[in-house]
Amino acid sequence: MRAGKWQIPETLFYSHDNYWVKLDGDEALLGLTEYGQSTTGDILYLELVPAGAVIRRGESFGSIESGKWVGSLVAPVSGIVMESNRELETSPRNVNSDPYGEGWMLRVKLHDPCATEGLMDAVAYQQWVEEQVRREQEDEVVS
Amino acid sequence: MHLYNLGAVSWWESQCLYHALAILGREGLIICYPTTAYVCLGLHDDLEQEIDLDYCRERGLPLIRRETGGGVVYLDCRQLFFQLVLRRDNPLLPLRRERFYPRFLQPAILVYRSLGLPARLRPPADLIADGRKCSGNAAGDIGPGTAYVGNLLLDFDFDTMSRVLRVPSPGFRRSLRKAMRDNMTTLADWMPVGSVTHGELEEALVAGFAELLGRLTPRRPDEELMRTAGKVRERLTSSDWLNMPGRKTPERRVKIAEGVYLAERRLGRRGSMTVLLKNGKVEEATWRGGPGDCSEAAPARSMPSK
Repeated sequence: MRAGKWQIPETLFYSHDNYWVKLDGDEALLGLTEYGQSTTGDILYLELVPAGAVIRRGESFGSIESGKWVGSLVAPVSGIVMESNRELETSPRNVNSDPYGEGWMLRVKLHDPCATEGLMDAVAYQQWVEEQVRREQEDEVVS
Repeated sequence: MHLYNLGAVSWWESQCLYHALAILGREGLIICYPTTAYVCLGLHDDLEQEIDLDYCRERGLPLIRRETGGGVVYLDCRQLFFQLVLRRDNPLLPLRRERFYPRFLQPAILVYRSLGLPARLRPPADLIADGRKCSGNAAGDIGPGTAYVGNLLLDFDFDTMSRVLRVPSPGFRRSLRKAMRDNMTTLADWMPVGSVTHGELEEALVAGFAELLGRLTPRRPDEELMRTAGKVRERLTSSDWLNMPGRKTPERRVKIAEGVYLAERRLGRRGSMTVLLKNGKVEEATWRGGPGDCSEAAPARSMPSK
């Protein structure tokens, strides 16, 4: 499935902050979506919380730096970090080039069996991205 | 929009007030300059790799790590800061944060142009005049706010900036100073020093930002803001925060301006090469043969960088 030029795998769940969540039993893998990385630009550096850290939905699980902007990574689910992708420390642009593969960020043991509540499925996320793109185009016209 | 046109402030207030506004979720434009010099690291800079701590100690230069991007900067009263804090839900803020720079930097461009500098934006966030950087800028999401920060350069202390950074050799430091001098420009290059005051620049900036933001209401920092700024100072200057591990690079590499880097390339056990990279090409290469470190610069050759 796609929204414009951005790929949206159908088996994943998505947050409004543009993170994807792949469920596997009581664990989840998560990362930034292809659309999300495109809004960030070329990623120069990523700092992720280490294994063993507790993350909470809506709160920061690290920071990200692109050309001239620094921001927080916002957790789409709550849980305990089982593993963070240390490869991204040396190759942060994997998030740009392969957001659903080598660009994965955390593997998390979920706190909540209803972890996907509040997340979007692929169809809903596709619509949401299309809406964001429309807004961006309107912004461009205004500015 | 609240305007904090503060003039001279202490070195830490020149960083912590905008952080405090953002943390409090309050919007505002701050214009200020520090009364004394200091060194400011970007959020992801690695202290040990980047800074000559002995030199900073000897000179009594305080250190602070900001929550916006970019690299290490030496800051003093010859730079006028403009810092805009917006709430993240402000419709002025595009989803792609870089897209706000052209608007945020327009007032600075107009001020420079009114003084004879042909300033223009080099995306994403540098201002250049005559091909040389004349303003460094950065942004970051801080708490519920987003801060865009920039400066106008009345003058710049190239000597101290080149001393503050940890570098692999005295020769690299000489090359660094020269590369900054060649690729940066300030008002002092364009008019006699002292012919424009901080006050005149502040007034012109305020007028430019009023065009962008609408009515600006003058404010002074209140108790809540100062209290929060004090807490921010404690955090941003704490040993733990300053020593937080950051971006490590396998080779020493200093960004001078957008697309301009000075890098040290190791060649075997004893030698190294200092290369000035400009837009992906080597503009100058200097062989450092050994401890004498006295070789001459090789002629500029246009060859692709790795």
